[in-house]
Amino acid sequence: MTNPSSASSARADSRAGSRSTSQRGTHSGVRLDPRAKLYLLLLANLLLFFHVDTRGEAIMVALFLLPLFVAGRWRNGLRLAVLYFALLGLGLWSDAATMSGSGGSGGSLIGMIGGGVTDTAAGSSGTTVAAEDVAATAASATDAFVTAGHVAGLLSVGIRMMMPCLITGAYAFTTTSISEFVCAMRRMRVPEAIVIPCMVVIRFFPTIVHDYRQIRNAMALRGIAAGRFALVRHPVQSLEFIIVPLLMNATFVSRDLSVAALTKGLGIAGEHTCMTVIRMCWFDWAYMAVCTAPLALAIGGVL
Amino acid sequence: MSFRPSEASGEILSRAASSPSAPIVLISDTSFRYAHDDAGAGPDNPSADSAAPAPTGTAPSTPESAAPSELALSHVNLTIRPGETVMLCGQSGCGKTTVTRLVNGLIPNFFHGSLAGSQSVCGLTNGTPAGSGSPVSPGDADSAACTAPVPIEALVPLVGSVFQNPKTQYFNADTTSELAFPCENVGMEPATIRARVNDVAQRFNIGHLLDRSVFKLSGGEKQRLAVAAATMLNPRVIVMDEPTSNLDATAMRDLHDMVAALKRDGVTVVIAEHRLAWCADLVDRYVLFENGAVAGEYTTAEFSALPPQQLESWGLRALDLAPYRAALRKKTGATGVTPAGVTQSGATSSAEPSGAAPSAKSLDASTASSTGPVIDSASRHSSAPETTHHSSNINDVPIIATRDLVVGYQRAFRRGVTDLALRGGDIVGLMGRNGAGKSTLVRTLCGLQRPLGGQVLLHGKPAKPAALTRAGFLVMQDVNYQLFADSAREELLLGLGDAGDAIRQPVEVTVAPSNAVRSSSSSATPLGVSVRGGIIGASSSATPHLHPATLGEQADRVLESLDLLPFAERHPMSLSGGQKQRLAIASAIMCGKGLIVLDEPTSGLDRAHMMQVGTLLRGLADQGKAVLVVTHDEELAALWCDRIIDLDGNAPATNKENS
Repeated sequence: MTNPSSASSARADSRAGSRSTSQRGTHSGVRLDPRAKLYLLLLANLLLFFHVDTRGEAIMVALFLLPLFVAGRWRNGLRLAVLYFALLGLGLWSDAATMSGSGGSGGSLIGMIGGGVTDTAAGSSGTTVAAEDVAATAASATDAFVTAGHVAGLLSVGIRMMMPCLITGAYAFTTTSISEFVCAMRRMRVPEAIVIPCMVVIRFFPTIVHDYRQIRNAMALRGIAAGRFALVRHPVQSLEFIIVPLLMNATFVSRDLSVAALTKGLGIAGEHTCMTVIRMCWFDWAYMAVCTAPLALAIGGVL
Repeated sequence: MSFRPSEASGEILSRAASSPSAPIVLISDTSFRYAHDDAGAGPDNPSADSAAPAPTGTAPSTPESAAPSELALSHVNLTIRPGETVMLCGQSGCGKTTVTRLVNGLIPNFFHGSLAGSQSVCGLTNGTPAGSGSPVSPGDADSAACTAPVPIEALVPLVGSVFQNPKTQYFNADTTSELAFPCENVGMEPATIRARVNDVAQRFNIGHLLDRSVFKLSGGEKQRLAVAAATMLNPRVIVMDEPTSNLDATAMRDLHDMVAALKRDGVTVVIAEHRLAWCADLVDRYVLFENGAVAGEYTTAEFSALPPQQLESWGLRALDLAPYRAALRKKTGATGVTPAGVTQSGATSSAEPSGAAPSAKSLDASTASSTGPVIDSASRHSSAPETTHHSSNINDVPIIATRDLVVGYQRAFRRGVTDLALRGGDIVGLMGRNGAGKSTLVRTLCGLQRPLGGQVLLHGKPAKPAALTRAGFLVMQDVNYQLFADSAREELLLGLGDAGDAIRQPVEVTVAPSNAVRSSSSSATPLGVSVRGGIIGASSSATPHLHPATLGEQADRVLESLDLLPFAERHPMSLSGGQKQRLAIASAIMCGKGLIVLDEPTSGLDRAHMMQVGTLLRGLADQGKAVLVVTHDEELAALWCDRIIDLDGNAPATNKENS
């Protein structure tokens, strides 16, 4: 009776062992520890916070992108890289464009609006106005160009500054399983009162997406706020139609989930373990150091 | 026997002084009443439902809805010995689920209420002396340990639970974590957990399900995983609360095999179910519940010797599905192989116009339902009214037809569908295993997604998805997504423009005869099955021909026809599941939709409520609607559908013939 069982468990053990070693093998070479990922995320936020100059930012972004490629997320990495460098180029171009527009560039927008106002004010005098209009349009063509440069610069800088956070976030969330995160949090001695809500939030996202689709389908079938622009035209009403069923379902789901979790011992006092083993190895420490250095230098003003 | 108690459960086991021969579950003289706030109600079913005046307080998909004023259990005595497989059966709201909650400790730890009597599970006794009836402590998960009732945590390693809804019983987002979850919670070593996960995966043959997202699993796979997760701590008891209500036949067979494996290992299995057939060969004992009390206990031999009519009168599903399957094959064979359009028009023209009056029809329905499993009579009934007053409407042009249709998603899934035609007055069942493309087909027919190829014809003309969305309506399995307004009447008027007309109008006289029919027939048939057939029959002749002055009147008439008028002012979310289902259908009727698709309308329903849904479908068809039912429910399909489209046997594009 015990013999086959022990044999089978031994087999399972060996299988589990081989699996865990294989995990560890891939782990050290390709993937960072979840804690290292969280550290990268922290660095990205510091980058945003301290307004590091463009050069330091570019170096940091390159460092952040590297693990994404190493982890085999080529498409994702390429997309983010292209986006970042396009924004960077756009920002540089807008700098150049507005600079070449000389000192008047700053006032060009105001000048244009002012010109428009005087135009309408002086609208009574016929032909001279028409001639002035032609001149104004010629002038405003370059003005508009410069204004576009300003707007582009504003947007590109704004989005670009978010990019490091987006990149590290994408890396952290696409390459880490939830169990690894939970394990990382438990190893960092995060209280269960924070770990469990995090698990629930992660669990709820797909549910909400699914519910939202169902509700939109139902609305389409009923002809309520159907069509793409209905949300824009009647935002409050449409939102009510979406949010009320969404919340209703969320309460039902949360009740069922807590029942399921309770019967599986979520409420048991004492330490909860994790099936996934995570370990910080030299590579994690090294990469964290490599990423910290340029940021520290940039903040210190050396770079 | 290859499973020993884990080291974690071992220490708790030592607290539970249990000898092998003693009963593993002992519930004696137990009464329970849900507290008002959480009412023990399923999602569809907050309170005050069974107190509803209508005889059709239809069950929700999660039943067990005693109104708070009623006892969910009254003086129940139940003894379950180790290794037994016990089936708890009975109608919706009879107390089955409440018993499972007593066994796994959710009562009194999570669902509060006044509990009397004593319950002992694996030697852990809830020491309420019999008859004291004192309300239990507000057993919070942590504080419960120091109070009288057994904390749910102590039961975790002893009792595994499987719930009804596969969607909401996972706490984790990937399958392996879900299996590991109970072990992690009791603090096992990582290596042990991994070994255990592999062990269980091997035991139940679910290795291919490991390391996957639970959101990508089919319903059957989810339920298998749920059983596996429930066994992770090697519990001595497994309770299952309607585990098959969302499953197809294949998934039920898989589940059957898992229960068989558990039984072999000596695990006590307690199943609360409506569908009895799937594990009939495994069950040792049947316990019949009625209104919260044990109405009888039967051994397997006694139970299977009972005539099917007896089971039906108890509101139970069939123990043997063979006659239903035979009827299904007949219906599938009639139309699935030959071109759908031809047979259907032939059937319509050959049947002689009987001109059945509503009262006659409802009588027919009542006889059909009371004489029970005689499927022929029921099907005769269901095919007869095709030729009633709507024979003029049912001309040869189907409401919806398809031509060389290919449905699917751009990258993921693609399949061709044999041409089909849905006519007014038809109830067509759409069957097939999970993943056969049923829901994709239905979404395409309703215009919610574009076909990858071929055409959908609406009244004989090719139609764009937007037009299909206007013409069709899908009653989702989870009706909660479909109700938006603040009251039932407003729900009907929503999107129809001026809601200022929504003044309560006196009911038209034309509906009065059907009321008479209702009262007489409902007194005749305790199940109230035939009720709505009569009413819809009456209104189907009334509604289309009358042109009410206001939308409000029309809304009232539609509500009346579906027995919803008493609830016109209620908030839709406060209705029971069946009432919500009917309200969604009412909104579709109000919009004048020609095609009504129902997705699994009878999942988790007992026989009486299944028959009610069937009657409702018949009524819709009699109004000239084309009714398409997506279902795994063989009894519903055999009893009520005119023909079956089986997507499993439905080879793509074998015939191009189309009326």
